[in-house]
Amino acid sequence: MIVANYIGAILLVAIGFYAMMTNPNIIRIVVGMNIVDYGLNLMIVSVGFNQGGTAPIYTLGELTSGMYFVDPIPQALTLTSIVIGACVTAMSIALCIKMYSEYGTLDARQIRRLHG
Amino acid sequence: MSMQYYQHFPVLSIMILFLGAFLVALFHKSRFMRTFITSVAVIGSFAMMIALIKPVMLNGEIITYWLGGRVPDGGYAIGIALEVDAVSLFFGILVSLAVLLSGLYSFRYTKQDDARDKFFTLYLMLAGGVMGIVLSGDLFNIYVMLEVMTFAAVALTAYRSWNPNAREAAFKYLVVGSIGSSSVLLGIALIYANCHTLNLAQISALAMSKMNPSMLLAFALLFVGFGTKAFMVPFHPIAADAHAAAPSSVSVLISGVFTKTGVYGIIRVCYFLFRTMGMPAVQTGVVLIGSVSMFLCVTMALNQHDFKRLLAFHSISQIGYILTSLGLCTALGIAGGLYHAINHTLFKGLLFLTAGAVLYSTGTTKLEKLGGLAKKMPQTAALFMIGAFSISGVPPFNGFVSKWMIYQATYEKAMETGSIGYALVTVLAVVTSVLTLASFVKVGQSVFFGEMPIEYQNVKETPASMLVPMWIMAGLCLATGLLPNLMFKYLLGPATGAVLNSPAYIDSAMGAGYAASQMPDMSLMADPVIVFAGAWKPLSWLLLFVIILAAVALASLMSKKRTSESGAVIDSKHDTFFGGEENTFSQVASGDLFWGFKHNMRKYLGFMSNAHNGITNEYVTWGVVDLAIIIVYCFIFI
Repeated sequence: MIVANYIGAILLVAIGFYAMMTNPNIIRIVVGMNIVDYGLNLMIVSVGFNQGGTAPIYTLGELTSGMYFVDPIPQALTLTSIVIGACVTAMSIALCIKMYSEYGTLDARQIRRLHG
Repeated sequence: MSMQYYQHFPVLSIMILFLGAFLVALFHKSRFMRTFITSVAVIGSFAMMIALIKPVMLNGEIITYWLGGRVPDGGYAIGIALEVDAVSLFFGILVSLAVLLSGLYSFRYTKQDDARDKFFTLYLMLAGGVMGIVLSGDLFNIYVMLEVMTFAAVALTAYRSWNPNAREAAFKYLVVGSIGSSSVLLGIALIYANCHTLNLAQISALAMSKMNPSMLLAFALLFVGFGTKAFMVPFHPIAADAHAAAPSSVSVLISGVFTKTGVYGIIRVCYFLFRTMGMPAVQTGVVLIGSVSMFLCVTMALNQHDFKRLLAFHSISQIGYILTSLGLCTALGIAGGLYHAINHTLFKGLLFLTAGAVLYSTGTTKLEKLGGLAKKMPQTAALFMIGAFSISGVPPFNGFVSKWMIYQATYEKAMETGSIGYALVTVLAVVTSVLTLASFVKVGQSVFFGEMPIEYQNVKETPASMLVPMWIMAGLCLATGLLPNLMFKYLLGPATGAVLNSPAYIDSAMGAGYAASQMPDMSLMADPVIVFAGAWKPLSWLLLFVIILAAVALASLMSKKRTSESGAVIDSKHDTFFGGEENTFSQVASGDLFWGFKHNMRKYLGFMSNAHNGITNEYVTWGVVDLAIIIVYCFIFI
């Protein structure tokens, strides 16, 4: 049921934002960012879904007007978005490691030299 | 369809930067090769943008370039397009100019860093990402470029291994910025679900007739997403952190170029995709956000003790001017906003470069530690003064003309709508300008004048290779201020016309007549003729003078009230006739020129300082709350 997907996607985004807002552990903030990403990926893939459609893998000659398949563009977008999400995670985890060695803590409440 | 040679320039000007990035990585061992490749890339990109002025700005062409030759088929844009109208080109010129000058500066400036071979790869990636955003005609392409740009900017923020705050700044930047990226992506998904296309032009044509709650949500999400990239309030703390930690030549890009992609995105979203800027509710919202950014950040700047952090807050304050002006939806407002956008890039770039020069020579940007550098670095001091005069809007520098247009535009809007709110915005803009000047007097006094600490006896003038780009920027600051007519003819007039004329943009991509067949309402949102209400009209001057006088009177009344209630002050340095004799250790430090003013405002400033407490979670909360408020606002008022 596609509505369930939309609700699930929005819930995931909300949970991710909640984690980013309330968790002082910087690793968990990164996990929160990831959950938001998953929510978005689910959303985009669901947008292109057609009930009863097949996988959109055809060569140009095979295509006829009667075929019914899911929209391939959102799937391409999701792939891109997954790749970007993985890069962002890698980068933020790298920064977390550096910060842990510099500050000796993972607590966002203590990593606040820049303020005011 | 025969193609003119210049139709390939948009794609080439993006490709040359990315190609340069990879080539620099390949030849990273040789300093000569790095310098050579970077120079070719940035100069080539700038030259191609300049070459497009004639066809796009003067002949009014809109260049549409379909990647791989996949032109629209059956009324649907299936390929990825680059589309360059006057707005895109305006931002393209601005971006490539800043990238060029800042790149030339970086060759010498990065000498003090340890990972020099990686710098220009990231630098060119950032530049290429920004160019990709402003020239692209495809929404998802914009998102990808946005991520490339953010990624490179975060990496460059964390780049200085000897700066102890750099990683923290980069992390906050990445986390809070991800709210914006996620919003943009969700907005794109919702638009695709409704319009089944990602082409900007086609969405612009279809969106009006498909307005439903999910499209409204998409509008709010895209607005917040691009607003994050422009660092509008309440996303401003990350900008301050990032600017202060990044190398100065990167600060120029973050402040002058990165934020402009946000402004550009807001223009595209509000004037093109949804055409919502005509609605009074949207205008009020954008102007409100702009004015709050403008005022809040200038007061935050008064609180700062770090040269670059102070500049960062001013930068967002100026972005507030641009947003305010663009939110008015009048030809004068749009022209003023765009004018201020290019001026902001120039004077802010210049100021960040002078801050970088001070850092290069002395090794610090702490205002308390610096002083009297004008004797040792006369040229840098002169350049700083030019930048400071420009940003404060002192005639005849460029900030004056654009700010003057913004005052006029807000005042005209107030006259037109009869609302007191817009008149207050005018006053707020003037007051902000005064505070900006005050703040730069303080910086000038504590860095370049006053007493020189003994350890800076051997400081030398900035190297010539860094001075040349700074002088070019300073010259452009003066030139854009003195030649507004040329600016109008070559840049602002066409760009303003293009902002208001989205049907032309649509027809260029989708074929003539497409806009007329899909859009229920083709009318322009405002008359595209810029009525320059006489910058030198004495009556207007008088009016401005009265407004300033009223503001000063109001401020002095308010401060009097405050002093009378603050009776019990222990430290004698806050006494009215303090001369420095009584309390030997309570000297008025050079960074504290406005201590009296700051003391009177201490409740507000203290509150603001405590609010910006540097905890990542709180900044995220601000962002998410802002997102929620804007979504609710859109649903109630639109």
